[in-house]
Amino acid sequence: MSKKINFNLTRRSFLKLSGGAAALAGLSLPKGADAATDRQLATLIDLSLCDGCKDLQAPACVTACKTINKDKIPEVVDNIPEPWPRKTIEDWSKKKGVFNRLTPYNFIYIHKAQIEGKTIFVPRRCMHCDNPACATICPFSANHKEKNGAVVIEQNQCFGGAKCKDVCPWEIPQRQSGVGIYLHVLPGFMGNGVMYKCDLCDERLKQGKMPGCIEACPRKAMLIGPRRDIEKMADERARAMNGFIYGKTENGGTSTFYVSPVSFEQINKTMQKKPGQPDMKPDVKRRMAATDPLGKSVLAAPALGVIAAGVLNWFAGRKDQVKKEEKGND
Amino acid sequence: MTEEILAHKNLVVRHSMLELIEHWAIAISGLILILTGIFELPVAKRYYIITLPGLGWSADFITSLYLHYAAAFVFSAVGIFHLAYHGLRGEKGLLPQKGDAAASITVIKSFIGLGKEPPMHKYLPEQRLAYAGMAFIILMLILSGLVKTYKNIYAPDMSHTVLLWATWIHNIGFVLFFLAFLAHMAAIALRPNWPMVRGIFTGKVRLDYARHRHSLWLKEIEQEQNIPAAVSDETTPPAKMDPTEATQPTPQPGTQHAVEEKMEDIRSGAEDEGKPPQTEA
Ligand code: HEM
Ligand code: SF4
Ligand code: SF4
Ligand code: SF4
Repeated sequence: MSKKINFNLTRRSFLKLSGGAAALAGLSLPKGADAATDRQLATLIDLSLCDGCKDLQAPACVTACKTINKDKIPEVVDNIPEPWPRKTIEDWSKKKGVFNRLTPYNFIYIHKAQIEGKTIFVPRRCMHCDNPACATICPFSANHKEKNGAVVIEQNQCFGGAKCKDVCPWEIPQRQSGVGIYLHVLPGFMGNGVMYKCDLCDERLKQGKMPGCIEACPRKAMLIGPRRDIEKMADERARAMNGFIYGKTENGGTSTFYVSPVSFEQINKTMQKKPGQPDMKPDVKRRMAATDPLGKSVLAAPALGVIAAGVLNWFAGRKDQVKKEEKGND
Repeated sequence: MTEEILAHKNLVVRHSMLELIEHWAIAISGLILILTGIFELPVAKRYYIITLPGLGWSADFITSLYLHYAAAFVFSAVGIFHLAYHGLRGEKGLLPQKGDAAASITVIKSFIGLGKEPPMHKYLPEQRLAYAGMAFIILMLILSGLVKTYKNIYAPDMSHTVLLWATWIHNIGFVLFFLAFLAHMAAIALRPNWPMVRGIFTGKVRLDYARHRHSLWLKEIEQEQNIPAAVSDETTPPAKMDPTEATQPTPQPGTQHAVEEKMEDIRSGAEDEGKPPQTEA
């Protein structure tokens, strides 16, 4: 339904952010095609363009994101229930302004890397992975992947157990305790708040608007568009600058393509994995991929059961037959 | 027919080898599924389960998923096999029958000394009801589990509505399965049911128990084996057998020989055992 609108919006955003039709030469948008790959969006983050908005008090993307999401988290209860037995409470409600890391109130931040005399700025947020463990093994399916590729946590379905954060190679989702449905179920024993992260501005996408951070970037360092085209563009840009791409293979593939003139190996060396500050290890594996072969055999199990039943039933039938004949011969 | 009276051993075969394998495959894989399913919830760290010796892996959701899949393979294959095989063979002993609900109440009352148990078939009426409930829960878990597995491998972006249904059926199924398991254990703990425990390990239960409690079942086997009821009745020691017993049907001419052999069997068997037959545990 919203598919059409999405395409239109995508085209519009694309035109806008790539600075006009000229930049789009050679790119074509899908026309009425229905294949899943055609509905998917992707983003491009060009590190050769981002300058960290160093002249601004806070980067424009960060400010835009904060503005859009400022009322997202409901008011946190005064007495946050103490979880039992491990007493971890994560309350960011009094530090909403923090923007040098990911928090429940801050979905994007800029990492600054000094490499061989050059400064590289790396906007970091959720990568919107192709097969995100954070979503697929959410025990409540509160975290899920949309057809357009956005990985979204429904805050009214999330218990804040932080499983998504544990299985994300970058530990992106961040917890705010004292909000969410766990308060109405068994607070203290089950759940501990709600997990928050970038949702690719899915609501805005559905209204035909661009993600806030992309719209706000004065340097047009970030783009969004149909996945196929963005991927192509990332390849072209990387080739042109003799540079590198991050996000194509990492965690089994993502819909965020970083393009950089310096290698991600070097960039990663400038990063120390800390809470809310992910590193950027090249080729980080999708661990769940290792379970896929066994999972496929699970999908085949019922068929095997039916076949075995057919075969054994045949043998049992034969045995009955023989017995009957023996009896008859007595 | 695997059900058979082994009168000289005071036993009756209750479950075939195949049924024993089915039961234990479901039971063991089901327990692994409960455990690894719990570990799919973010509880291991919070409840310090990871600090228990040997359970350091419990907070690693991918390891738990691996084990969950392995057990789910057995659980789904055997569960579906069970339905298909016994369905094909037309075996309906465990399916609920009309009046089971009322009969269950009578049986449960008798446990606490209120009234007498009615004569029963191979399975007790509440066993048949429990079976239907358990089968339903297991089927729900398998179906929802298959949807979740499919999503993990092929369709991370599947319809959120379908996914929410599968997830909540799975979660509720988990709670029900766990409760059903506890009820199963509670039923086994009841004294009158004790003689059946040996049955699920060895396939055989005591003949005198079966005769006392599952008289309708024994009648069926006897008809099948063409053994006159009283002849194989060990609860009455053979030596003191009352020849004038009215219920004793006349053996059919064709099977006379076989029956005499069986009776020989019974006499020597009873002597070998050397202990008086018991009527109740
Ligand atoms: C006794 C039977 C079972 C029990 C008690 C059980 C219990 C659970 C529980 C508590 C969870 C975590 C909550 C959740 O993710 O929804 C879970 C997850 C899961 N179960 Fe089961 N389960 C059983 C059987 C199965 C079967 C037969 C399959 C596959 C055919 C299956 C597939 C899965 C999968 C794939 C997950 C991981 C989470 C996900 O991918 O969404 N389960 N199970
Ligand atoms: S980056 Fe992490 S949180 Fe975002 S989709 Fe991938 S696994 Fe999930
Ligand atoms: S896409 Fe939206 S939610 Fe995500 S970082 Fe940008 S502004 Fe924030
Ligand atoms: S991505 Fe754009 S808005 Fe964000 S810091 Fe870089 S230049 Fe500024």
